[in-house]
Amino acid sequence: MDLLGLISQLFASGITMGAIYALVALGFVTIVRASQIINFAQGEFVMLGGVLAFFFIKGAGFSYPVAALMAVISVVIIGFLLHLLVVYPLRKASALIVLMATLGASIVLSNTSALLFGTLPKTLPPFSGDLSVQLGGIRIASQSLWVLGATFCLLLALHLLAHRTLVGKAMEASSTDPLGADLAGISRNLMVFFAFGVSAGMGSIAGVLVTPLFYTSYSAGTLLGLKGFIAAVLGGWGKNSGAILGGFALGIVESVSVAFIPAGYKDGVAFVVLLLILYFRPKGILGSPFIDSRRW
Amino acid sequence: MKVFRKCAVLTMVAALLLAWPILAQAAGKAPYKIGVNLELTGPWAEVTKTVKQAMTMEVERINAQGGVDGHPLELVIEDNGFDLGRAAVNMIKFARNKEIPVVLGPWEDPLQATTRAIAEREQITNIIFCPSNPMVRGLKQRWSFNIAQSDINVSQRLVELCLARGYKKVLVFPGNWPLALSLAEYFKQFGEEKGIKVIVSRETHKPTDIDMTPQLIKLKPIIEREKVDAFYACTGGPPGPIIVKNLRALGIKTPVIGTHAFGFGFIIALGGAAMEGVEFAAGKSVVPDQLDENDPVRPIIIDFDKRMRARYGQGLDQIAGHAHDAIWLVYDALKRCQGKVTRAQFRDALEATKGFKACHGIYTYSPTDHDGLSKEDLVFIRIEGGKFKRIMFPGFK
Repeated sequence: MDLLGLISQLFASGITMGAIYALVALGFVTIVRASQIINFAQGEFVMLGGVLAFFFIKGAGFSYPVAALMAVISVVIIGFLLHLLVVYPLRKASALIVLMATLGASIVLSNTSALLFGTLPKTLPPFSGDLSVQLGGIRIASQSLWVLGATFCLLLALHLLAHRTLVGKAMEASSTDPLGADLAGISRNLMVFFAFGVSAGMGSIAGVLVTPLFYTSYSAGTLLGLKGFIAAVLGGWGKNSGAILGGFALGIVESVSVAFIPAGYKDGVAFVVLLLILYFRPKGILGSPFIDSRRW
Repeated sequence: MKVFRKCAVLTMVAALLLAWPILAQAAGKAPYKIGVNLELTGPWAEVTKTVKQAMTMEVERINAQGGVDGHPLELVIEDNGFDLGRAAVNMIKFARNKEIPVVLGPWEDPLQATTRAIAEREQITNIIFCPSNPMVRGLKQRWSFNIAQSDINVSQRLVELCLARGYKKVLVFPGNWPLALSLAEYFKQFGEEKGIKVIVSRETHKPTDIDMTPQLIKLKPIIEREKVDAFYACTGGPPGPIIVKNLRALGIKTPVIGTHAFGFGFIIALGGAAMEGVEFAAGKSVVPDQLDENDPVRPIIIDFDKRMRARYGQGLDQIAGHAHDAIWLVYDALKRCQGKVTRAQFRDALEATKGFKACHGIYTYSPTDHDGLSKEDLVFIRIEGGKFKRIMFPGFK
């Protein structure tokens, strides 16, 4: 295999990882747009999606699709509870305190998962068996195609939610111009509440999608959450399109970098990319509504 | 007056109640306390739970049989949470307790260097569950003993597997931690002595890597160019099944061989169908029901397996086997201690263990060998139909 073949194969594997990062990044952005809160429990939603789906199949004996659906619904409920129990009581506190609170919640969630479901790594069977598809010189696992397809559908659904439904429009309005939305009678707290649900839903779907490809365990959420956060900053902090672009960019850069450096440094690449972005373009690729570009 | 009499009776009853344990003690003999320093919380919680269960069961069994010459055994269990600091604190705590002659644990490799150093300084025997590594072996510490199969034995046995299968060229993909790297190194050394070409990949992986595809994509050209006969996933824990899964998804059909760390049920569950045909060498407790009729440790394994199933509903595995062996090695050494058990006497007795049969094989310690087992204690195993199946080759015992 020549270098070109190698890079194209790495590119293909990077896209899959990128889709997952994009979903996590989008979860961060959904909440930050609604409330300016950085929710560090975002990675735990991904972990819980996988772990709960595993539990519903192995522990409770449901069929795969039912278990996956129930896992997503449970995580959405956990997302709502996170808002009600952690974020809402602190609505008058400073952003830093809320940030610490979500960090605490993430530790509680991961350790609860360890207590309830055990610490051994878990995995789910691939949706359509251990098939892999040959495209030209590239080989792709069928689960990767599922990840890409489902991510695309999810993004489409989010787009429709934001632009075609009343709730979605209200959420958009509240995040674009909070004061204007307040004046129009949109409850900002309710919108933040919904944002947590949507974000938890996205995280858990990412978890169900990615678990068959790799595996999940109670501590898997931290790294995924961090990578998603980096992706969101990379693309443009606070922009949906930025989160998606950032996610795919990060996944691809990380994977393709392996062609040139030893793979042991793969995780480091994401953080180097973050540093470079913070040095040279702090507002991200697509710019950020939260960072005043005139200062840079 | 009446009140006074009542008081007197009450005082006598109370005094009797208070004195009861001492009286009872005098009847039996003082227990031998065993310190246990385990990762009961953290990533290894589920694994060490089995260790704790198996040890508790064996100690109860020994005590029911009358203990060691009338002295019951007593476990003093402390959790170290897979944290170096806490493991060290536990070790010092046990060392300062004069009633404890031996400490079992830790379970994981990153903690052993520290507890070994403390054992050496405080002069207390430390039995460690994980295999030794070249670095700690080089220190020639007197007070530490390992009970798992060493990297040398595993590598020797794996080379035999390759010879039996006729593999001439093997590509090694090691994990980037000391034990995995030393396994790879010994495999290369022993393999080349026997005429096998061993290529150790410069690409490595970490225990936390959840996707090995990028590394394997880089290795794929080497596999194709060099036409390797087997791919050695030199690793432990979740990376093992991940490597095999990613390898198969990339369409690489080369046979995979693994380390003894592949011999756990959850490894098959993680890897699914991709794990079919993976071969490795591991402890006999992986296949309790497939041992030779005349295997000297077979009765021990079958009996322990039966009791584990009856009590915890889960059969024997390598983890429970290690726990069983640790307790019985202590029992055996205590029995051979002459007269009063001191720490020095216990250490010498344990070092003098000769041909002691337990789940993982036959232990023989000596001043130059603190690893106990030999390569004959490992059997060849193949994953078939989602189960471990013992394979045998004529000419290789």
